[in-house]
Amino acid sequence: MSPLKTLLDIPKIFWVNVALIVAFSLISSRYMTILNAINIMQQGAVLLVITAAMTIVILSEGLDLSLGAVMTMAGVVSVLALGAGLPVPVAILAGVLSGTFLGAITGTLIAFCKMSPFIATLGMQGVIFGFTLALTHSKAIFTDNANFILIGSRIGRYVPLAAILCGIIFLSVWATLHHTKFGRYVIAIGGNESGAHLSGINTTFWKWFVYVFAGTVTAMGGIILAARLEVADPIVGVGWEFDAIAATVLGGTSLTTGRGDVSGSFLGVLLIMLLRNGMNVVGTPPIWQPALMGTIIIFAIAFQVSTTMREEAGR
Amino acid sequence: MPRISSSAAAESSPLASSEYVLQVRNVSKAFPGVQALDNVSFDLKPGEVHVLLGENGAGKSTLMKIIAGAYLPDAGEILIDGQPAANLTPRKAQELGVGIIYQEFNLIPFLNVAENIFIDQLPTRQLIRLDHKTAHRKAREILASLNMEVPTHALAVELSTAQQQIVEVAKALTHNSRILIMDEPTASLTDREIEQLFMTIRELKSKGIGIIYISHRLREMKEIGDRVTVLRDGRYVGTHNLSEVTVDSLVTMMVGREIDLLYEHDEVSLGEEVLRVEGLSSKATGLRDVSMNLRRGEIVGLAGLVGSGRTELARAIFNADRHDEGRIIIFGKESKGKTPKDSVRNRIALLPEDRKRQGLALILSVAENVLSASLDKVFPRGWVDQRKQKSLSDEYIKILRIATPSGARITRDLSGGNQQKVVIAKWLATGSEIFIFDEPTRGIDVGAKCEIYGFMNHLKKNNCAVLMISSELPEVIGMSDRIFVMREGTIVAEVSRGEATQEKIISYAMDAAPERPANSGTDQNPARADPGK
Ligand SMILES: Nc1ncnc2c1ncn2[C@@H]1O[C@H](COP(=O)(O)OP(=O)(O)O)[C@@H](O)[C@H]1O
Ligand SMILES: [Mg+2]
Repeated sequence: MSPLKTLLDIPKIFWVNVALIVAFSLISSRYMTILNAINIMQQGAVLLVITAAMTIVILSEGLDLSLGAVMTMAGVVSVLALGAGLPVPVAILAGVLSGTFLGAITGTLIAFCKMSPFIATLGMQGVIFGFTLALTHSKAIFTDNANFILIGSRIGRYVPLAAILCGIIFLSVWATLHHTKFGRYVIAIGGNESGAHLSGINTTFWKWFVYVFAGTVTAMGGIILAARLEVADPIVGVGWEFDAIAATVLGGTSLTTGRGDVSGSFLGVLLIMLLRNGMNVVGTPPIWQPALMGTIIIFAIAFQVSTTMREEAGR
Repeated sequence: MPRISSSAAAESSPLASSEYVLQVRNVSKAFPGVQALDNVSFDLKPGEVHVLLGENGAGKSTLMKIIAGAYLPDAGEILIDGQPAANLTPRKAQELGVGIIYQEFNLIPFLNVAENIFIDQLPTRQLIRLDHKTAHRKAREILASLNMEVPTHALAVELSTAQQQIVEVAKALTHNSRILIMDEPTASLTDREIEQLFMTIRELKSKGIGIIYISHRLREMKEIGDRVTVLRDGRYVGTHNLSEVTVDSLVTMMVGREIDLLYEHDEVSLGEEVLRVEGLSSKATGLRDVSMNLRRGEIVGLAGLVGSGRTELARAIFNADRHDEGRIIIFGKESKGKTPKDSVRNRIALLPEDRKRQGLALILSVAENVLSASLDKVFPRGWVDQRKQKSLSDEYIKILRIATPSGARITRDLSGGNQQKVVIAKWLATGSEIFIFDEPTRGIDVGAKCEIYGFMNHLKKNNCAVLMISSELPEVIGMSDRIFVMREGTIVAEVSRGEATQEKIISYAMDAAPERPANSGTDQNPARADPGK
């Protein structure tokens, strides 16, 4: 199945996106420009990565509320490593591995200790956030390492390097879901865990691996974000997991049946970013943006969930 | 190369010397509150179809799950090809050549047919990249070798039940299986599909694969089976060649229980009709044209196999599920109710099968549970009147002799029988007059059973009406004034108390009634051909 065909399988939210673009460009003449499009890409790129990770977790009938915190931690670890004089590749690797490590702990709690994903990851969110504050003494840590900053910046005016990197990560997650055993087991565990187990799949191990994978991917996003902002901010990731969950559900992934796809989540992220950017461009007062945003997302999810449920009931 | 090509017969030739591919010796297995298997033995020869027969709950599926490594036995051993196979896991059992089609749906809904067939051995190339092409080709080969056609790119959810069954067969054969277990494979197939499946089974037989076949359709198993083993209440009853036994004798072996003196029965003069169901049908739950009635002062039994629609009928009467056609008349008036709440107001009580989940809030106190369906009695002013709650609930605790130190005790701490009494008390408190019991005595001890029977009689004598769903034939026969037998979503017989025997009821329930033609090949039972199921 090609990514394009899968995209076309989820038409509703796609049309919502189109409608948003049309509406914003009618309201403001400054909206439909290449630069603004690149802006949206650069700003949405990291959310796309976190959402891809979240979608894998949700497809396995899990949930990971600690991803925002993992993202922050990875950025902090990388920037601290740079500050300690380590070379850029090593600093990046350290950040990525911090996500792998945290994911392994979360996965252990859920897969081996059989804790509910909600409780386990809510707890991990607090723990990781606490450690991040301790590591940074709750201060933002700036970096001026040009090579590091490069991965989050744009080359010239028109080549958004961060967006390209995130796009590659996103496509890799998509390929993992569709073209590896692990990806198929994710769908198997989410769709019929006992069936998968009775078919001889080591569901405990693969469930653990879901969180390892999500932590690793999320950490990559966190490092790119730190590079783009040129700072590791200990509170930068607060609330990202909720955007990621919203984007996943908007993209048509079901919270309970192993139904859905990473490619749908792309559209979910796009919707959120279009809203955010559009409200800025047309001059919505910043104090009203969160409330407006939340309201629109709730309506969009209600719309998406009702069609998903109707389709599921129809079989 | 498909793993189950004709080479399977050749590969099994070294085994031809050993008479059995599978031997089960003295296996026992207990679940909390029930001895599912008690010292059961069983064996299987290569190239035979060995039918496993027994009532619901006889332990058939449990035995199969033990052979397939899904459960570990408490005692006894399994020998495959004469070698002891201890500590089986699903994976190990597969590797030893055990393929199983479980009674429950075991496919992955959002994976395609090829992925489902090869779920645990997906082919890869270049390290970890899946080789979809090979998977689809091998899947097509396997399906072709079974003479079956299913599109390998379709998702499992998109398939018909029959197609899903075919995929399960193909999946069970991918490990070069020499033992194939089919747990009620025909329960949801049409006649034509069953014929197809039988062709497949004959083909597999000819390749030397031993097949364990579980079904409730007696005539069907005469057609396909070689030997039959009967289980009853988790115990081994006997093994026979199918050619040497009659359907009647099989039925006797299955039921073979005496109706004991547990059941009290009183003649009560019948009162007015309180419930009448006319032509009830529902696509969603599979009910078809159900008609029955219930009068004051009687206990009516609802017998049938699991899945025959008994619980669905009860839920429809209680407005827990919608129906498409038909009428429900309660106390002489057509019920216009839409929700269970309307039914409670109509003085109907439903005591569900799974009382822990549907009938009780286990973490609440006994008193709270007793009054949970009639809260307006205890909070007339908008908050719970503790004193009233205590006095009311104490009254019911006394009437029903619920063994609890006080009404404040958490319901979870009570025994199964006493929990069941709490459910009854809850409905008594609402002032109900029509009581529907769904498997009221499942999993409770004899003492509590007796009390519940006594209580049903008490209801009957007090001018209430009781509809009792039960899979235990002695219980149905011992308690009921009349019995309706259900099969495949509809009522197939009404049996009076005088006529009721276990053999008769099970014959109706299993479509083996003697007055019907005994030739299954030409049997045109409309129920089987019903595509709506
Ligand atoms: N997982 C389980 N937990 C508790 N009890 C079970 C479980 N599986 C089966 N049982 C009980 O074991 C007995 C045998 O069940 P089963 O093997 O499914 O019977 P059959 O397949 O012959 O209808 C029944 O009383 C059933 O309720
Ligand atoms: Mg069974």
